[in-house]
Amino acid sequence: MTLSPAIQRLVEALRCLPGVGPKSAQRMAFQLLERDREGGRRLAAALEEAIDKVGHCEQCRTLTEEPVCGICRSDSRDRGQLCVVETPADIVAVEQATDFRGLYFVLMGHLSPLDGIGPADIGLDRLAERLARGEVAEIILATNPTVEGEATAQYIADLARSHGIRATRLAHGIPLGGELEYVDGGTLSHAFSGRRDL
Amino acid sequence: MAIDSVEMQPAYILHHRAYRDTSALLELITPLHGRVGVVARGARGARSPLRGVLRPFLPLLCSWGGRGELFSLRRAEVAGRMPVLSGQALFAAYYLNELLLRLLQRQDPHPEVFEAYVQALDGFAGQPLEAVLRLFEKRLLEALGYGLMLETDVHGEPVAADRRYRYIPEQGPEPIEGKMPDEGGLSGRALLALAAEACDNVQDLRELKPLLRRMLGLYLGERPLKTREFLTDMERQGRSGHD
Repeated sequence: MTLSPAIQRLVEALRCLPGVGPKSAQRMAFQLLERDREGGRRLAAALEEAIDKVGHCEQCRTLTEEPVCGICRSDSRDRGQLCVVETPADIVAVEQATDFRGLYFVLMGHLSPLDGIGPADIGLDRLAERLARGEVAEIILATNPTVEGEATAQYIADLARSHGIRATRLAHGIPLGGELEYVDGGTLSHAFSGRRDL
Repeated sequence: MAIDSVEMQPAYILHHRAYRDTSALLELITPLHGRVGVVARGARGARSPLRGVLRPFLPLLCSWGGRGELFSLRRAEVAGRMPVLSGQALFAAYYLNELLLRLLQRQDPHPEVFEAYVQALDGFAGQPLEAVLRLFEKRLLEALGYGLMLETDVHGEPVAADRRYRYIPEQGPEPIEGKMPDEGGLSGRALLALAAEACDNVQDLRELKPLLRRMLGLYLGERPLKTREFLTDMERQGRSGHD
């Protein structure tokens, strides 16, 4: 069966979502058209609104429809601590799991020397300006524990040092509830060298 | 080129790129198969056992197979420890990767390049960065058949440590008479130190840098190296920090 052009376009459009192949795109399209037209309308409106309005926070670069995001505007947060993360999703993760009350800075990626993604592409010029203003006392590097994340953290740590600001890096350790035997060597060696007094 | 499969070969990842939702495209360097492009299917999935394994600069043992330009990665295991790469050394290591990506053809084996790469990665931990880089660049040029003439000058005379030379590509060092302002000029001592792979003198290293840069430039073509911009940028930042 061939789909009519409008349905075909919908199926194609849905495929831009992560993890959605031709089969699931088609299932989604039929679900909306057959059973949930109201849901589809809401989805279309929400999508359009978000795409039109959501931009980046002037201060931390996270996604928001306001010029400055809620966290950056809040006066109950500690302005001396700045946590640097790769994506807006990382903010959500840190907010849910920790008691961190400082501010964030979102890189929207990481340095990738071989792909030509340099300091300016991840907003480090803006970060440098912010560090120069002298409000930040500690910068917490929460980039991913990948080689690129590490490279990014080191680069920012150098930047912080040149402004006389303390830079800290999240610890790498054994997952809770894990067994040593099955932990990968890199994690285990990090955990070992970062051991603590009890 | 069709091969059935290659089992557990030493390899390092030179470059990795996300591919589809959970896969990755990798460029490997191996001793016996040169640079190899592989697809690691599902490697970026949440439960993939390869997540902590497929990292650049980590010594691996890889199995791959398939047909065509791009093979399928079948298995990968960690074969040693991650070298200690901190600060500039990490970006210098990326520079090595970029040189290899630019200068090596796929499936053109150069075991001595692999050897030089392993030694350079290990060298970053203890030796001066510039010395490690110059040695690697010299060995890479040599392995590719563009080796420098360092011990004999253009007239067939042995290079003398106390004379100054101008290096002419594909011909060798030409003695410079008198005391010329050193435009691309360098001392015989620096040339001999590079030949002996024992460059530890800061002045020699400073003179060898433009030479190797110029020689690599002949084979790299017009496109600038992205990692070189990074390193210069970091040096500048480091300097401004000391002011």
